[in-house]
Amino acid sequence: MAGFLDNSAGLSASAMDWGERRNTVASIGAGVLFFSGWWIMIDAAVTYPEQEQMNHAFHTCGVFSTIAFFMINAVSNGQVRGDTYGEAVWDAQGPALVVPGFMMMFGSLIASIWILFGAYVVPKKEVAPGLAVFFQNAFIFFSTLIYKFGRTEDLWG
Amino acid sequence: MAGIKALISLSFGGAIGLMFLMLGCALPVYDKYWPLFLLFFYILSPIPYCISRRVVDDTDSASNACKELAIFLTTGIVISAFGLPIVFARAQVIAWGACALVLTGNIVIFGTILGFFMVFGSNDDFSWQQW
Repeated sequence: MAGFLDNSAGLSASAMDWGERRNTVASIGAGVLFFSGWWIMIDAAVTYPEQEQMNHAFHTCGVFSTIAFFMINAVSNGQVRGDTYGEAVWDAQGPALVVPGFMMMFGSLIASIWILFGAYVVPKKEVAPGLAVFFQNAFIFFSTLIYKFGRTEDLWG
Repeated sequence: MAGIKALISLSFGGAIGLMFLMLGCALPVYDKYWPLFLLFFYILSPIPYCISRRVVDDTDSASNACKELAIFLTTGIVISAFGLPIVFARAQVIAWGACALVLTGNIVIFGTILGFFMVFGSNDDFSWQQW
């Protein structure tokens, strides 16, 4: 069980019993980030209700990020790599969800950065709603990465 | 297997947490009952984990995808229970003092729920006649 930690460069070696807890910690971290991102956006929507302060269309970035989160995490890493037992046709469809999912995720992240700079920094408007859009998508992005790659499937028996 | 002391302390914790929530609503200086929406989150928070425990009866492996999804959702519910009073306070729907009381109540209640699962939730002797 010690082998799979070799690739995790940033983890401190002194942490006790990392092995069994790793999946739980990753799930909790991903949950904190994902929902904090959404609450940041809810707060911005409540604090800046006018269309001029925060265009309501900017919510679409967060929605697409969320859809992408579920697309990416719907398929286990094993299915994407191809080492499942399944002979059924749909078992090979792992990449069909993951690739568009990552495309949507990166697209939303880039869109949120564009919104921040294009709609708030350059026109010199009050920047807080733009920051909220950016942080929502950045948090959801990192949450996806942690939930997808922070958990090991070795613990699934 | 923990006995009556754990039960009483957990009940006390729950009562204190709810007391903070009610204080945040009912004190005359605040008198706004919006924070009672948090009761919805309190009731919802144990549900994903309980469902995953019932659905997957896999005692061999250390973990499984369903349990991790349940933990993810539970974390989300807890974060939402902290986020809602803060958004209320920033929108001036409730006072910041009420928000602080409600957040304190949150911490106590979620600590109580966590304590309940740690004390009464272990899989070792899964029998209903313990106490």
